[in-house]
Amino acid sequence: MALTFDYQGGIYPPERKSRSSQASLQYAPLPARVTLPLRQHSGRPATACVTPGQHVQVGTLIARRDGLISADVHASISGTVTQVSEHAIQIESDNLDTRQPLAPLDWRETDALTLLARLDESGVVGLGGAGFPTQVKARVIERHAIDTLIINAAECEPYITADDITLQRYPGEVLEGAQLMASLCGAGQIVIGIEDNKPEAIAALKQAITQSRPAPITLGVIPIRYPSGSEKLLIKTLLNRTVPSLGLPADVGVLCHNPGTLLAALQAVRDGQPLVQRVVTLTGEAISRPGNYWVRLGTPIDELLAYAGLERSRLDKVVQGGPMMGSTLETLSAPATKTTNCLIAATQSELPPAPPASPCIRCGACENVCPVQLLPQQLHWYARAQEDDKLERYHLFDCIECGACSYVCPSHIPLVDDYREAKSRLRHQRIEAAKADHAKHRFEFRQARLAREEAEKQARRHARQAQNRPGAASSTEATAAPQADLRSLRIAQTAAKAAVRKAEKVLAREAQQAPNESHEDLEMQLATARENLKAADLQLAQARQSASAPEESP
Amino acid sequence: MSDAVSLWGIISAIGILTGLGVGFGALLGAVSERFKGDAHPLVDQIDALLPQTQCGQCGYPGCRPYAEAINEGDALNKCPPGGDATIQALADLLGREAEPLDGDAPEENRVAFIREAECIGCTKCIQACPVDAIIGAAKQMHTVIEDECTGCDLCVDPCPVDCIDMRPRSAPLTQWQPVMPFTASVITSDRSPAGGN
Ligand code: SF4
Ligand code: SF4
Ligand code: SF4
Ligand code: SF4
Repeated sequence: MALTFDYQGGIYPPERKSRSSQASLQYAPLPARVTLPLRQHSGRPATACVTPGQHVQVGTLIARRDGLISADVHASISGTVTQVSEHAIQIESDNLDTRQPLAPLDWRETDALTLLARLDESGVVGLGGAGFPTQVKARVIERHAIDTLIINAAECEPYITADDITLQRYPGEVLEGAQLMASLCGAGQIVIGIEDNKPEAIAALKQAITQSRPAPITLGVIPIRYPSGSEKLLIKTLLNRTVPSLGLPADVGVLCHNPGTLLAALQAVRDGQPLVQRVVTLTGEAISRPGNYWVRLGTPIDELLAYAGLERSRLDKVVQGGPMMGSTLETLSAPATKTTNCLIAATQSELPPAPPASPCIRCGACENVCPVQLLPQQLHWYARAQEDDKLERYHLFDCIECGACSYVCPSHIPLVDDYREAKSRLRHQRIEAAKADHAKHRFEFRQARLAREEAEKQARRHARQAQNRPGAASSTEATAAPQADLRSLRIAQTAAKAAVRKAEKVLAREAQQAPNESHEDLEMQLATARENLKAADLQLAQARQSASAPEESP
Repeated sequence: MSDAVSLWGIISAIGILTGLGVGFGALLGAVSERFKGDAHPLVDQIDALLPQTQCGQCGYPGCRPYAEAINEGDALNKCPPGGDATIQALADLLGREAEPLDGDAPEENRVAFIREAECIGCTKCIQACPVDAIIGAAKQMHTVIEDECTGCDLCVDPCPVDCIDMRPRSAPLTQWQPVMPFTASVITSDRSPAGGN
């Protein structure tokens, strides 16, 4: 593809990819024990469905997806389940590595629903880092028309080479996986976005493209710059489409997938192999055999690093993910999960700790590098002052947390930490607000129910009295049943009717727009309106009766 | 002559201006009738700021009645579950002075828990709960739906066998919030040397 479009900002940190990209892809040894967290994806944790003592094989389902956005978890080794806790499942290996695959499918011959179900039951999630369930992403066509599938092979963060090696090793299979996903979401073309520092992968892809059918594939080689692999920027660069603020790529007809995810999706369909292993880059100056490894999910990280030749005396810290967006691990006994794409065992001199932060000097360096044109220093100021409305106005939620601003800040302010903190605070506030709203609706429902019950009781009492002492009932009541009262009750009843109609309309509209979501709150409001209507009906009927009663009785 | 002209001018000016006034008044009236909002927009706004715990500690039977009372001029500082944040938000909304909280702010987010073995199934707590968060039937053991409970305390007193506790609410891990140590000075000015806090 000749044409690529530019975006503003971005930085050029040292790449440091050569150490891990030179070695060929290897298999890490089978671990003796794995710990599989129930939450290795975005969304809700899966629910364990095995018990300690149970025997499992590679690919046995051990935890089921819970809710819409969640993913299944499968055993990554064969052996015995030793522990099932709230957060993770532990399996002790029997060293046999027996497998329990699903039935292989030919995706060209299989209907979309079966394929989606297969992706679902294979626990495939985005392997680029966010871990969004792939089947949920594929279902986006229920609401958006997709025309382009982008293979996001930019891999712009320093150190990481997992996608590079995957493409060098399995170019045909990645493209086949892309064809599969493209046909699932109805995309007519596939575009590969890859940075020009991966010549071997580009050569391998060029060759594989000629044999890939049916969707046409274009190769978009883009110049290196961080963070061009961010979805929105890649879409801008390759297609010159701008994803709206707070929007999704699907809003402009695009889906992005990482090469590793496409490979996993193909393996799940073609070979019936659930997601039990992934490619992890092991690198950093504190290990002597850096490279890319096929790693069983749940393998302890210290075991992996030890296998890659960790020199503990030189080790300063281990970073999971890239140096820009990743996080330093607190403990090395943590397991590798579906979202572990890279482990950097860094020495002190390699990734030195940030010097203490000093106040902002308003130099504007951060603004110049922000790839989404935010004002990082303003955001920093408002985040610390907790001026929440300003944060929203300055588009805090468009920040992709790329860290470019912290990288260039001469005052060494950990700007991204501020944004993360502010985002989580705002999200928390939204949850609280939704909860308060819900409590309010429940309260209103209860009030309405009590009113209806009271009206029913009144009606019953009235009927009883009328039966027992005909004529007397009305005379004990306010005999001059005021017409004005009747009128206001009629108005109340009409208003209640209108409220029911309005609630029904709102519910119907929402149910149509988002059929898969729960509308419990709206249903509650409708029920409240109905209760109110019932109470109004009863009161009106009763008032009418007592108004007409005096005339009948002599 | 000039007097007559100016008199005529004054009269016509008064006439035109009166006409304009009446015309625009009618227009405004019609527009406000046409685009009439909800019956009590301010009460709704106040209600939206209250925590909806429905506990009655403000002296009103629920948050909405308190919102109505505030609209009529009642003090802003009567809602302990909302605490200072709510008072501040109300003061901002209404342009009134924020006052210190009248009462003790709850120290933590709590939820009711029924010791089910001891419950005699009297349904007294069900009648007390403002949000229908307790399920159970007469002479059956009762239990609290944690997600629906607002932690208002109202079910504790009516229980004849004291089997309801208020316990700290367990927050899901996904809602964990980082705690950040912030330095006081954010932006350096020429009055404070760079690097100094
Ligand atoms: S972290 Fe956010 S504010 Fe900073 S450069 Fe990246 S997108 Fe811009
Ligand atoms: S780069 Fe740092 S010092 Fe410069 S304006 Fe941005 S936050 Fe302030
Ligand atoms: S004190 Fe309780 S009932 Fe009153 S406004 Fe606050 S939360 Fe609502
Ligand atoms: S269960 Fe008890 S504490 Fe919870 S909302 Fe109901 S009455 Fe209040």
